[in-house]
Amino acid sequence: MQPSEIISVNIWQIVVSLLNLLIIFFILKKFLFKPVKKTIESRQAKIDEDYAQAESARADAQAEAEVLKAQLDGARGKADEILNEASALADARKKQAEAEARAEADTIIRQAKAEAELEKKKAQSEIKEQIVDVSLVLAERLVEREINEKDHHSLIDSFIENIPLGTGDEPNEK
Amino acid sequence: MSRADLKFKVIDILLVILMILPLVTAIVLTILISPPSQGVEITGALILFEIPMPLQNLPITEAQINSWLVMLSIFFLCLYMTHGIKDRPTLKRQHFAEWIVEKCEGMVGENMGEYFKGFAPFIASIIALSAFSSLLSLLGLFPPTSDLNVVAGWAILVFILITYYKMKCGPLNYLKSFSEPVAFLTPLNVVSEVATPVSMAFRHYGNVLSGTVISVLLATALQGLSSLVLGWAPDFIASIPLFQVGIPGVLSLYFDIFSGCLQAYIFAMLTMLYVSGAFNIDLYEKRRAKRKLKKQQKAEKIISEEK
Repeated sequence: MQPSEIISVNIWQIVVSLLNLLIIFFILKKFLFKPVKKTIESRQAKIDEDYAQAESARADAQAEAEVLKAQLDGARGKADEILNEASALADARKKQAEAEARAEADTIIRQAKAEAELEKKKAQSEIKEQIVDVSLVLAERLVEREINEKDHHSLIDSFIENIPLGTGDEPNEK
Repeated sequence: MSRADLKFKVIDILLVILMILPLVTAIVLTILISPPSQGVEITGALILFEIPMPLQNLPITEAQINSWLVMLSIFFLCLYMTHGIKDRPTLKRQHFAEWIVEKCEGMVGENMGEYFKGFAPFIASIIALSAFSSLLSLLGLFPPTSDLNVVAGWAILVFILITYYKMKCGPLNYLKSFSEPVAFLTPLNVVSEVATPVSMAFRHYGNVLSGTVISVLLATALQGLSSLVLGWAPDFIASIPLFQVGIPGVLSLYFDIFSGCLQAYIFAMLTMLYVSGAFNIDLYEKRRAKRKLKKQQKAEKIISEEK
């Protein structure tokens, strides 16, 4: 065994070395780059898929939230409507009740007034009769003579008619 | 531990052993075949035997054996790194493998452009083969890259690629490019064309070899220096390698590790630059569009004639 020259050119050695590089190229390509790239790609695909899923889930959630919001708005509007209606109804009822109460009060007052009037009239006629009686007695005593009771009555009546009554009604114009 | 785990571990260990085995073989082989040293000697690779071939016999040398063993090692390294590769990485070696692949593709994409994306494994193989071959000298083996024939083979492959990509824009354009910018520069252009692979091969080979030469020279010088300093003493003291401790290690750090990796990087870089520089992508696209148009016109003509 002897060493070769330090600078020796051998065509076949060059060819062998060239083939060596090619073989290493194929080895690296097939056993390192291919599996690694495949893994990276599949991972990327998975990540993309996950992202797409997340995106769609978010879009779904947003759409759902919008639907819910619309529903909530509708419900709120409805509630407002119902409230308004109820308050309107209550108002109407209140007014009606007020009106009824007022009407009742009016009738009561009117009745009371009518009764009062009646009482007054009754009292007037009573008073009138008493006055007539009193004046008759007075006149009998004064005159000391018998006067026709009938004439007397008419006389006093006419007199009383002409007396303006102090309490209440307009004076009689007879 | 389940059965699958055990199997995985066993294959792992087997791959590691297979990865280291070629290197151990190389060391054993070197120890067995290297002749007893006779002083300072700088020689090429040892020739084991010769295979008769036409033109020239093919000697099987240390350099070739070593480069084959390195290739085997790289092969098992690849298998080891991609063993148990998953979408969700759990192993560190997968991160490393991905880092290598992405780094190579990034480098190729940056230096060569989108068209040459497929070159990433080629560049990676140049770097791996060159760097590992040079680093063999760390184990005391003959680095294949310090054999001119090995590096020349790579350089010639690069030259073939350069020429192929120049021819891709048309052989006539390729021939015409020699007479540019002026016709009388043609010989110089031819020389420069041929000089590309020669310079690449000699740069790499020379750098690695010079590292070995300097190391040997320095080791001899240090030996002389120690014997000079301790020469007066009795034999057992004089044989102490006083200056040979440590100093060659620092030099080895530079010549074996740094220089080896740097040369691999430079070789890969030059390959990328030359190959991408040889290809005129605009011209290629133009020619292809033209050819397509011509084909279309021809097809239309045939159709109209048939009518």
